Amino acid sequence: MMKKVTIVGTLGLVLTLVLALPARAKNDNKDGNKDDNFDGVVKVIERFYHVKHKSIPLLARAGMKTALTAARIAGGSKKRLAEAGSLKVAYFEDQDFDAARGVASFQAAINTALRQTWSPFVQVTSPRSGEQVYIFLRNAGEKFHVMAITIDRRDATVVQITLSPSSLAKLLQDPEDMGRAINDEATTDQ
Amino acid sequence: MKSAKQISVRTLWKFAALAFFVMLGAGVNATAQTAKIQTSSLDHLVAKASETFNLDLDESLMQLTAKVFKSNDPDEARVKALVSGLKGIHVRVLEFEKEGEFLAADLEAIRVQLRAPGWNKIVNAKSKKEGSVDVYLMTSGSQILGLAVLAADAKEIAVVNILGNIDLEKLSQLEGQFGIPDLSLEKPRPKN
Repeated sequence: MMKKVTIVGTLGLVLTLVLALPARAKNDNKDGNKDDNFDGVVKVIERFYHVKHKSIPLLARAGMKTALTAARIAGGSKKRLAEAGSLKVAYFEDQDFDAARGVASFQAAINTALRQTWSPFVQVTSPRSGEQVYIFLRNAGEKFHVMAITIDRRDATVVQITLSPSSLAKLLQDPEDMGRAINDEATTDQ
Repeated sequence: MKSAKQISVRTLWKFAALAFFVMLGAGVNATAQTAKIQTSSLDHLVAKASETFNLDLDESLMQLTAKVFKSNDPDEARVKALVSGLKGIHVRVLEFEKEGEFLAADLEAIRVQLRAPGWNKIVNAKSKKEGSVDVYLMTSGSQILGLAVLAADAKEIAVVNILGNIDLEKLSQLEGQFGIPDLSLEKPRPKN
């Protein structure tokens, strides 16, 4: 009897887990308010490249860059910045993002960190130069979260913004240029 | 005479085996019905590439796309109509600095998928681009399940995979948008 109960219980548990896992992932995607993985991504970069991000006040230099980035995504008009909503930024300045560590390995690490709750959208890499741009998207109720990770030889930026549907439409239509714009504006001195 | 315990364990194994084969069958069926092309065979070329571009608009993002384009704006309405019926857009491009960084054999794993039942090469799809541009359509009866483009020249590989109701006309309109590269496809001639 014990054996029967144990087998039934084990099978039930396995089936419950198998059925519950996708449902949980789906809920996390829909919710948009659970752990946003922003800190997790920063940690992945720190561990992979042995670098440290700087705690720069949002309205200081990085904030300016983020604001410009958000403005660009929002269609180039700073008036539309307000709709960009919450901004999160982590900036890595003048550190060694050694391409020899392997762009492909880093790409895999980032995807693993975010795949549960974010959808990978665009990934542009230049393995020889080490330049990388990753854009992930997530539904956040009426709006959308965008996580943009840009890395080049000496700098990196992680930006998370909230976009309105109309801004997202622009990003969707021209993702490559938008990805490059994020990269340029987040890593070039203004 | 079999004990109740033996019967229970055997019955459970039978259920487990049945469940396994049902799940296996569902998986095989799902694979047969999907027009999604696996491009992981290109992963080993990433380190050699001078630039790579990956775009993934999966079904959930396609649903978002349908929501974000407004019907009352003529341009957005056109795009909305274009993407309606699509279930995914996947683009993978690898560019190389020099010729000879990849071999024809590197594309074979993709070509094998496109030789599977359901896929048909569109012979009248012509491109003005150098190199080869092959366009394939997956159908099931009268239903179009997806389209794949495999373009390669000496220094570039591009794989475009669009899932859902798509045709050459739609593809040529989508070129340059949603990360789909300019394939320079000649517009299909209207049927007489």
